[in-house]
Amino acid sequence: MIRDLSWVDPLYLVFALRWTILLTLLALAGGAPIGLLVASLGNTSHATSRLASRAYIGLVQGIPLLAWLFLFFFGFPIFGIDVPGWLAATCGFSVYSSAFLGEIWRGALQSIPRTQWEASASIGMSHVEQLRYVIIPQAIRIATPPTVGFIMQLIKNTSLAAVIGFVELTREGQMTAAATLAPLSVYLMVGALYFALCYPLTVYSRFLERRLHGAR
Amino acid sequence: MALVELRSVVKRYGDHIVLKSVDLSLEKGEIIAIIGRSGSGKSTLLRCINGLESIQSGELLVDGVAVHDSKSDLRALRARVGFVFQSYNLFPHLDVERNITLGPTIVKSMPYQKAAELARVALRRVGLEEKIHAYPDELSGGQQQRVAIARSLAMSPSIMLFDEITSALDPELVGEVLRVLESMAKEGMTMLLVTHEMNFARRVATRVLFMNEGVIWEQGTAAAFFEAPKTEELRNFLGSVLN
Repeated sequence: MIRDLSWVDPLYLVFALRWTILLTLLALAGGAPIGLLVASLGNTSHATSRLASRAYIGLVQGIPLLAWLFLFFFGFPIFGIDVPGWLAATCGFSVYSSAFLGEIWRGALQSIPRTQWEASASIGMSHVEQLRYVIIPQAIRIATPPTVGFIMQLIKNTSLAAVIGFVELTREGQMTAAATLAPLSVYLMVGALYFALCYPLTVYSRFLERRLHGAR
Repeated sequence: MALVELRSVVKRYGDHIVLKSVDLSLEKGEIIAIIGRSGSGKSTLLRCINGLESIQSGELLVDGVAVHDSKSDLRALRARVGFVFQSYNLFPHLDVERNITLGPTIVKSMPYQKAAELARVALRRVGLEEKIHAYPDELSGGQQQRVAIARSLAMSPSIMLFDEITSALDPELVGEVLRVLESMAKEGMTMLLVTHEMNFARRVATRVLFMNEGVIWEQGTAAAFFEAPKTEELRNFLGSVLN
Protein backbone atom coordinates (compact mmCIF):
# COMPACT_ATOMS: atom_id res chain seq x y z
CA MET A 1 0.00 0.00 0.00
CA ILE A 2 1.15 3.43 -0.89
CA ARG A 3 1.22 6.14 1.71
CA ASP A 4 2.59 9.66 1.93
CA LEU A 5 5.97 10.45 3.35
CA SER A 6 5.31 11.71 6.85
CA TRP A 7 7.19 13.02 9.84
CA VAL A 8 7.56 9.51 11.29
CA ASP A 9 9.66 8.31 8.34
CA PRO A 10 12.78 10.28 9.23
CA LEU A 11 12.39 8.92 12.75
CA TYR A 12 12.28 5.35 11.45
CA LEU A 13 15.42 6.07 9.48
CA VAL A 14 17.15 7.46 12.55
CA PHE A 15 16.12 4.35 14.48
CA ALA A 16 17.48 2.16 11.68
CA LEU A 17 20.79 3.97 12.03
CA ARG A 18 21.43 2.08 15.27
CA TRP A 19 21.54 -1.19 13.31
CA THR A 20 24.13 0.32 11.01
CA ILE A 21 26.15 1.35 14.05
CA LEU A 22 25.63 -2.01 15.73
CA LEU A 23 26.71 -3.92 12.64
CA THR A 24 29.83 -1.73 12.39
CA LEU A 25 30.67 -2.45 16.03
CA LEU A 26 30.07 -6.19 15.57
CA ALA A 27 32.29 -6.19 12.50
CA LEU A 28 35.04 -4.44 14.45
CA ALA A 29 34.62 -6.75 17.43
CA GLY A 30 35.04 -9.75 15.13
CA GLY A 31 37.57 -8.19 12.77
CA ALA A 32 39.94 -6.48 15.18
CA PRO A 33 41.18 -9.58 17.07
CA ILE A 34 41.68 -11.49 13.80
CA GLY A 35 43.30 -8.40 12.30
CA LEU A 36 45.67 -8.22 15.25
CA LEU A 37 46.57 -11.86 14.73
CA VAL A 38 47.08 -11.32 11.00
CA ALA A 39 49.27 -8.26 11.73
CA SER A 40 51.43 -10.08 14.26
CA LEU A 41 51.82 -13.14 12.03
CA GLY A 42 52.86 -10.77 9.25
CA ASN A 43 55.61 -9.37 11.45
CA THR A 44 57.24 -12.51 12.79
CA SER A 45 60.62 -13.74 11.66
CA HIS A 46 58.88 -17.01 10.76
CA ALA A 47 58.58 -17.15 6.96
CA THR A 48 55.57 -19.48 6.85
CA SER A 49 53.60 -17.26 9.24
CA ARG A 50 54.35 -14.22 7.12
CA LEU A 51 53.25 -16.08 4.01
CA ALA A 52 50.01 -17.21 5.68
CA SER A 53 49.28 -13.65 6.76
CA ARG A 54 49.93 -12.28 3.28
CA ALA A 55 47.85 -15.02 1.65
CA TYR A 56 44.91 -14.32 3.98
CA ILE A 57 45.01 -10.59 3.29
CA GLY A 58 45.32 -11.20 -0.45
CA LEU A 59 42.46 -13.67 -0.53
CA VAL A 60 40.03 -11.53 1.45
CA GLN A 61 40.87 -8.31 -0.34
CA GLY A 62 40.69 -10.04 -3.72
CA ILE A 63 37.04 -11.03 -3.28
CA PRO A 64 34.30 -8.39 -3.29
CA LEU A 65 32.64 -7.70 0.01
CA LEU A 66 29.26 -8.50 -1.52
CA ALA A 67 30.55 -11.95 -2.46
CA TRP A 68 31.68 -12.55 1.13
CA LEU A 69 28.20 -11.66 2.37
CA PHE A 70 26.60 -14.09 -0.07
CA LEU A 71 29.17 -16.74 0.79
CA PHE A 72 28.18 -16.64 4.45
CA PHE A 73 24.47 -16.13 3.82
CA PHE A 74 24.10 -19.00 1.34
CA GLY A 75 27.11 -21.00 2.52
CA PHE A 76 26.01 -21.80 6.05
CA PRO A 77 22.67 -23.37 5.00
CA ILE A 78 24.58 -25.82 2.76
CA PHE A 79 26.09 -27.26 5.94
CA GLY A 80 22.64 -27.38 7.48
CA ILE A 81 23.25 -24.30 9.60
CA ASP A 82 20.52 -21.75 9.25
CA VAL A 83 21.86 -18.32 10.01
CA PRO A 84 19.89 -15.12 10.41
CA GLY A 85 20.89 -12.24 8.18
CA TRP A 86 22.59 -10.30 10.96
CA LEU A 87 24.90 -13.22 11.78
CA ALA A 88 25.87 -13.82 8.15
CA ALA A 89 26.48 -10.08 7.83
CA THR A 90 28.59 -10.01 10.99
CA CYS A 91 30.71 -12.88 9.70
CA GLY A 92 31.15 -11.31 6.28
CA PHE A 93 32.05 -7.88 7.63
CA SER A 94 34.37 -9.37 10.27
CA VAL A 95 36.35 -11.23 7.63
CA TYR A 96 36.47 -8.09 5.50
CA SER A 97 37.62 -5.86 8.39
CA SER A 98 40.15 -8.37 9.66
CA ALA A 99 42.04 -8.31 6.37
CA PHE A 100 42.04 -4.54 5.99
CA LEU A 101 42.83 -3.84 9.65
CA GLY A 102 45.46 -6.59 9.58
CA GLU A 103 47.12 -4.96 6.61
CA ILE A 104 47.01 -1.47 8.16
CA TRP A 105 48.43 -2.67 11.46
CA ARG A 106 51.04 -4.93 9.87
CA GLY A 107 52.28 -1.96 7.87
CA ALA A 108 52.33 0.27 10.95
CA LEU A 109 54.37 -2.24 12.95
CA GLN A 110 56.72 -2.74 10.04
CA SER A 111 57.26 1.00 9.64
CA ILE A 112 58.92 1.25 13.04
CA PRO A 113 62.64 1.34 12.25
CA ARG A 114 64.77 -1.68 13.11
CA THR A 115 66.95 0.67 15.17
CA GLN A 116 64.11 1.08 17.69
CA TRP A 117 64.21 -2.68 18.24
CA GLU A 118 67.97 -2.55 18.63
CA ALA A 119 67.93 0.40 21.02
CA SER A 120 65.35 -1.27 23.26
CA ALA A 121 67.18 -4.60 23.07
CA SER A 122 70.43 -2.92 24.04
CA ILE A 123 69.01 -1.82 27.40
CA GLY A 124 67.98 -5.40 28.09
CA MET A 125 64.27 -5.39 27.25
CA SER A 126 62.56 -8.66 26.35
CA HIS A 127 60.60 -9.05 23.12
CA VAL A 128 57.27 -8.48 24.85
CA GLU A 129 58.60 -5.41 26.69
CA GLN A 130 59.95 -4.01 23.43
CA LEU A 131 56.53 -4.37 21.84
CA ARG A 132 54.68 -3.05 24.86
CA TYR A 133 56.74 0.04 25.63
CA VAL A 134 58.52 0.97 22.42
CA ILE A 135 57.10 -0.54 19.24
CA ILE A 136 53.31 -0.66 19.73
CA PRO A 137 52.95 2.89 21.17
CA GLN A 138 54.67 4.25 18.07
CA ALA A 139 52.76 1.93 15.73
CA ILE A 140 49.42 3.01 17.23
CA ARG A 141 50.13 6.62 16.34
CA ILE A 142 50.90 5.67 12.79
CA ALA A 143 47.95 3.29 12.48
CA THR A 144 45.22 5.47 13.98
CA PRO A 145 44.42 7.78 11.03
CA PRO A 146 44.13 4.92 8.49
CA THR A 147 42.17 2.86 11.01
CA VAL A 148 39.66 5.67 11.50
CA GLY A 149 39.52 6.03 7.73
CA PHE A 150 38.76 2.34 7.39
CA ILE A 151 35.99 2.52 9.99
CA MET A 152 34.32 5.18 7.84
CA GLN A 153 34.49 2.87 4.84
CA LEU A 154 33.05 0.12 6.98
CA ILE A 155 30.10 2.25 8.13
CA LYS A 156 29.20 3.05 4.54
CA ASN A 157 29.78 -0.51 3.36
CA THR A 158 27.40 -1.95 5.95
CA SER A 159 24.72 -0.74 3.52
CA LEU A 160 25.55 -3.88 1.51
CA ALA A 161 23.98 -5.95 4.28
CA ALA A 162 20.65 -4.73 2.92
CA VAL A 163 20.92 -7.29 0.10
CA ILE A 164 20.84 -10.22 2.52
CA GLY A 165 17.83 -8.81 4.29
CA PHE A 166 19.48 -7.20 7.28
CA VAL A 167 17.43 -4.11 8.10
CA GLU A 168 19.88 -1.29 8.65
CA LEU A 169 19.73 2.26 7.38
CA THR A 170 19.82 1.52 3.66
CA ARG A 171 17.31 -1.36 3.86
CA GLU A 172 14.98 0.80 5.93
CA GLY A 173 15.36 3.48 3.26
CA GLN A 174 14.51 1.00 0.50
CA MET A 175 11.35 -0.03 2.31
CA THR A 176 10.30 3.52 3.02
CA ALA A 177 10.95 4.50 -0.58
CA ALA A 178 8.87 1.59 -1.81
CA ALA A 179 5.99 2.46 0.49
CA THR A 180 5.94 6.18 -0.22
CA LEU A 181 7.15 6.30 -3.82
CA ALA A 182 9.39 9.18 -2.78
CA PRO A 183 12.81 7.63 -3.34
CA LEU A 184 14.68 10.88 -3.84
CA SER A 185 13.59 12.42 -0.55
CA VAL A 186 14.16 9.17 1.30
CA TYR A 187 17.61 8.51 -0.09
CA LEU A 188 18.59 12.12 0.52
CA MET A 189 17.76 11.53 4.16
CA VAL A 190 19.62 8.23 4.14
CA GLY A 191 22.65 9.95 2.66
CA ALA A 192 22.44 12.75 5.20
CA LEU A 193 22.39 10.25 8.05
CA TYR A 194 25.47 8.40 6.74
CA PHE A 195 27.15 11.76 6.37
CA ALA A 196 26.24 12.76 9.94
CA LEU A 197 27.88 9.57 11.15
CA CYS A 198 31.01 9.74 8.98
CA TYR A 199 31.82 13.42 8.88
CA PRO A 200 32.84 13.67 12.55
CA LEU A 201 35.19 10.76 11.88
CA THR A 202 36.71 12.59 8.90
CA VAL A 203 37.34 15.60 11.10
CA TYR A 204 38.77 13.40 13.83
CA SER A 205 41.02 11.60 11.34
CA ARG A 206 42.35 14.93 10.02
CA PHE A 207 42.98 16.08 13.56
CA LEU A 208 44.92 12.89 14.27
CA GLU A 209 46.94 13.27 11.12
CA ARG A 210 47.92 16.82 12.04
CA ARG A 211 48.92 15.72 15.49
CA LEU A 212 50.93 12.87 14.02
CA HIS A 213 52.86 15.23 11.79
CA GLY A 214 53.71 17.23 14.87
CA ALA A 215 55.77 14.09 15.66
CA ARG A 216 54.23 13.35 19.06
CA MET B 1 89.59 -12.40 34.36
CA ALA B 2 89.20 -10.09 31.42
CA LEU B 3 85.95 -8.13 31.21
CA VAL B 4 85.60 -8.89 27.51
CA GLU B 5 87.27 -11.87 25.89
CA LEU B 6 87.04 -12.81 22.20
CA ARG B 7 88.65 -16.01 20.95
CA SER B 8 88.78 -16.69 17.20
CA VAL B 9 85.47 -14.96 16.65
CA VAL B 10 84.03 -15.39 13.15
CA LYS B 11 81.04 -13.46 11.79
CA ARG B 12 79.54 -14.23 8.39
CA TYR B 13 76.55 -12.88 6.47
CA GLY B 14 75.89 -15.77 4.12
CA ASP B 15 79.13 -16.16 2.17
CA HIS B 16 80.41 -12.76 3.13
CA ILE B 17 82.91 -12.94 5.96
CA VAL B 18 82.90 -9.80 8.09
CA LEU B 19 85.04 -10.96 10.99
CA LYS B 20 87.64 -13.55 9.99
CA SER B 21 89.14 -14.45 13.30
CA VAL B 22 89.20 -11.88 16.01
CA ASP B 23 91.01 -12.27 19.32
CA LEU B 24 90.69 -9.54 21.87
CA SER B 25 90.96 -9.24 25.59
CA LEU B 26 89.85 -6.16 27.45
CA GLU B 27 90.43 -5.42 31.12
CA LYS B 28 88.32 -3.33 33.45
CA GLY B 29 89.13 0.38 33.12
CA GLU B 30 90.59 0.13 29.63
CA ILE B 31 89.53 2.55 26.94
CA ILE B 32 89.94 1.02 23.54
CA ALA B 33 89.47 2.92 20.31
CA ILE B 34 88.83 0.92 17.16
CA ILE B 35 89.64 2.56 13.87
CA GLY B 36 89.57 1.31 10.30
CA ARG B 37 87.98 1.80 6.91
CA SER B 38 84.24 1.34 6.51
CA GLY B 39 83.48 -2.31 5.91
CA SER B 40 86.47 -3.49 7.93
CA GLY B 41 84.16 -5.06 10.52
CA LYS B 42 84.62 -2.63 13.39
CA SER B 43 80.94 -1.86 13.97
CA THR B 44 80.06 -5.52 13.57
CA LEU B 45 82.61 -6.39 16.23
CA LEU B 46 80.92 -4.00 18.64
CA ARG B 47 77.44 -5.31 17.81
CA CYS B 48 78.57 -8.89 18.41
CA ILE B 49 79.81 -8.00 21.89
CA ASN B 50 76.31 -7.21 23.18
CA GLY B 51 74.66 -9.90 21.10
CA LEU B 52 72.92 -7.63 18.57
CA GLU B 53 74.64 -9.83 15.99
CA SER B 54 75.23 -13.54 16.49
CA ILE B 55 78.62 -15.07 15.74
CA GLN B 56 79.22 -18.20 13.66
CA SER B 57 82.18 -19.60 15.51
CA GLY B 58 84.63 -18.80 18.27
CA GLU B 59 84.01 -17.75 21.84
CA LEU B 60 82.82 -14.41 23.12
CA LEU B 61 82.71 -13.82 26.86
CA VAL B 62 81.51 -10.60 28.42
CA ASP B 63 81.62 -10.24 32.19
CA GLY B 64 81.70 -14.04 32.42
CA VAL B 65 78.63 -14.51 30.18
CA ALA B 66 79.11 -16.60 27.03
CA VAL B 67 77.46 -14.35 24.45
CA HIS B 68 77.96 -16.98 21.70
CA ASP B 69 75.86 -19.49 23.66
CA SER B 70 72.17 -19.25 22.74
CA LYS B 71 71.28 -20.45 26.24
CA SER B 72 72.91 -17.44 27.88
CA ASP B 73 70.74 -14.70 29.32
CA LEU B 74 71.48 -11.89 26.89
CA ARG B 75 68.90 -9.65 28.54
CA ALA B 76 70.74 -9.60 31.84
CA LEU B 77 74.01 -9.07 30.00
CA ARG B 78 72.71 -6.17 27.93
CA ALA B 79 71.53 -4.46 31.07
CA ARG B 80 75.22 -4.31 32.08
CA VAL B 81 76.65 -3.47 28.66
CA GLY B 82 75.77 0.03 27.51
CA PHE B 83 75.48 0.64 23.78
CA VAL B 84 75.34 4.02 22.08
CA PHE B 85 74.39 4.14 18.41
CA GLN B 86 75.52 6.39 15.59
CA SER B 87 71.92 7.52 14.99
CA TYR B 88 71.11 8.02 18.73
CA ASN B 89 67.94 5.88 18.49
CA LEU B 90 66.08 7.62 21.27
CA PHE B 91 62.44 6.61 21.68
CA PRO B 92 60.64 9.47 19.88
CA HIS B 93 57.31 8.98 21.64
CA LEU B 94 58.78 9.41 25.13
CA ASP B 95 60.27 12.45 26.82
CA VAL B 96 63.90 12.52 27.94
CA GLU B 97 63.09 11.39 31.46
CA ARG B 98 61.06 8.39 30.26
CA ASN B 99 63.70 7.52 27.66
CA ILE B 100 66.18 7.17 30.50
CA THR B 101 63.94 5.61 33.16
CA LEU B 102 62.46 2.98 30.84
CA GLY B 103 65.40 0.60 31.24
CA PRO B 104 65.77 0.86 35.03
CA THR B 105 62.02 0.62 35.71
CA ILE B 106 61.17 -2.13 33.22
CA VAL B 107 64.31 -4.22 33.08
CA LYS B 108 65.55 -3.71 36.64
CA SER B 109 62.09 -3.24 38.22
CA MET B 110 63.28 -0.11 39.99
CA PRO B 111 60.62 2.15 41.57
CA TYR B 112 59.89 5.13 39.33
CA GLN B 113 60.97 7.69 41.91
CA LYS B 114 64.40 6.13 42.22
CA ALA B 115 64.79 5.77 38.45
CA ALA B 116 63.83 9.42 37.96
CA GLU B 117 66.54 10.44 40.42
CA LEU B 118 68.98 8.26 38.48
CA ALA B 119 67.88 9.97 35.25
CA ARG B 120 68.56 13.36 36.83
CA VAL B 121 72.06 12.26 37.88
CA ALA B 122 72.80 10.80 34.44
CA LEU B 123 71.55 13.97 32.73
CA ARG B 124 73.72 16.10 34.99
CA ARG B 125 76.72 14.05 33.88
CA VAL B 126 76.00 14.84 30.24
CA GLY B 127 75.10 18.44 31.05
CA LEU B 128 71.44 18.33 30.02
CA GLU B 129 69.53 18.39 33.28
CA GLU B 130 67.29 21.23 32.07
CA LYS B 131 66.06 19.10 29.13
CA ILE B 132 64.54 16.39 31.30
CA HIS B 133 61.00 17.00 30.03
CA ALA B 134 61.88 17.70 26.39
CA TYR B 135 61.05 15.27 23.60
CA PRO B 136 63.82 13.95 21.32
CA ASP B 137 62.64 15.98 18.32
CA GLU B 138 63.10 19.17 20.32
CA LEU B 139 66.81 18.47 20.81
CA SER B 140 69.80 18.98 18.54
CA GLY B 141 71.74 15.95 17.32
CA GLY B 142 74.45 16.52 19.90
CA GLN B 143 71.90 16.80 22.70
CA GLN B 144 70.09 13.67 21.53
CA GLN B 145 73.35 11.78 21.53
CA ARG B 146 74.12 12.98 25.05
CA VAL B 147 70.67 11.81 26.18
CA ALA B 148 71.40 8.44 24.55
CA ILE B 149 74.61 8.28 26.60
CA ALA B 150 72.64 9.17 29.73
CA ARG B 151 70.13 6.42 28.88
CA SER B 152 72.97 3.91 28.87
CA LEU B 153 74.59 5.36 32.00
CA ALA B 154 71.36 5.02 33.98
CA MET B 155 71.65 1.24 33.65
CA SER B 156 74.98 1.46 35.54
CA PRO B 157 76.82 -0.56 32.91
CA SER B 158 80.14 -2.21 33.63
CA ILE B 159 81.29 -1.43 30.09
CA MET B 160 80.07 0.93 27.39
CA LEU B 161 80.23 0.43 23.65
CA PHE B 162 80.14 3.43 21.33
CA ASP B 163 79.45 2.89 17.65
CA GLU B 164 80.70 5.93 15.70
CA ILE B 165 78.61 8.14 17.90
CA THR B 166 79.79 11.43 16.43
CA SER B 167 79.61 10.43 12.75
CA ALA B 168 76.04 11.64 12.23
CA LEU B 169 76.62 14.97 13.97
CA ASP B 170 77.26 18.38 12.49
CA PRO B 171 80.93 19.26 13.06
CA GLU B 172 80.15 21.97 15.61
CA LEU B 173 78.24 19.45 17.75
CA VAL B 174 80.98 16.82 17.91
CA GLY B 175 82.89 18.58 20.69
CA GLU B 176 80.10 18.49 23.27
CA VAL B 177 79.70 14.72 22.84
CA LEU B 178 83.44 14.03 22.96
CA ARG B 179 83.70 16.09 26.17
CA VAL B 180 81.12 13.81 27.79
CA LEU B 181 83.11 10.76 26.71
CA GLU B 182 86.29 12.27 28.06
CA SER B 183 84.76 12.95 31.47
CA MET B 184 83.45 9.36 31.58
CA ALA B 185 86.94 8.14 30.73
CA LYS B 186 88.34 10.16 33.64
CA GLU B 187 85.81 8.53 35.98
CA GLY B 188 87.22 5.15 35.04
CA MET B 189 84.45 3.78 32.79
CA THR B 190 85.53 0.83 30.67
CA MET B 191 84.90 1.85 27.07
CA LEU B 192 85.15 0.41 23.61
CA LEU B 193 84.71 2.99 20.86
CA VAL B 194 84.54 2.75 17.13
CA THR B 195 85.55 6.20 15.99
CA HIS B 196 86.83 8.40 13.22
CA GLU B 197 88.03 11.04 15.66
CA MET B 198 91.78 10.32 15.55
CA ASN B 199 92.77 13.14 17.86
CA PHE B 200 90.25 12.00 20.41
CA ALA B 201 91.49 8.40 20.15
CA ARG B 202 95.06 9.51 20.61
CA ARG B 203 94.25 11.66 23.63
CA VAL B 204 91.86 9.39 25.52
CA ALA B 205 92.36 5.76 24.49
CA THR B 206 94.61 3.47 26.49
CA ARG B 207 94.87 1.20 23.47
CA VAL B 208 94.06 1.64 19.80
CA LEU B 209 93.09 -1.16 17.40
CA PHE B 210 93.24 -1.00 13.63
CA MET B 211 90.71 -3.29 11.94
CA ASN B 212 91.40 -4.35 8.39
CA GLU B 213 89.85 -7.15 6.28
CA GLY B 214 87.95 -8.60 9.24
CA VAL B 215 90.88 -8.97 11.61
CA ILE B 216 92.64 -6.82 14.19
CA TRP B 217 95.50 -5.85 11.92
CA GLU B 218 97.55 -3.85 14.36
CA GLN B 219 97.21 -2.57 17.90
CA GLY B 220 99.20 -0.64 20.45
CA THR B 221 99.22 2.16 22.95
CA ALA B 222 97.89 5.39 21.51
CA ALA B 223 101.32 7.01 21.33
CA ALA B 224 103.15 4.11 19.65
CA PHE B 225 100.23 3.40 17.37
CA PHE B 226 100.07 6.86 15.84
CA GLU B 227 103.80 7.76 16.01
CA ALA B 228 105.23 4.51 14.73
CA PRO B 229 102.70 2.40 12.81
CA LYS B 230 104.26 -0.98 12.03
CA THR B 231 102.27 -2.11 9.02
CA GLU B 232 101.98 -0.61 5.56
CA GLU B 233 98.14 -0.76 5.74
CA LEU B 234 97.95 1.28 8.93
CA ARG B 235 100.44 3.82 7.55
CA ASN B 236 98.28 4.22 4.44
CA PHE B 237 95.11 4.49 6.49
CA LEU B 238 96.54 7.08 8.88
CA GLY B 239 97.96 8.95 5.93
CA SER B 240 94.54 9.16 4.29
CA VAL B 241 92.60 10.21 7.38
CA LEU B 242 95.08 12.54 9.02
CA ASN B 243 95.65 14.75 5.96
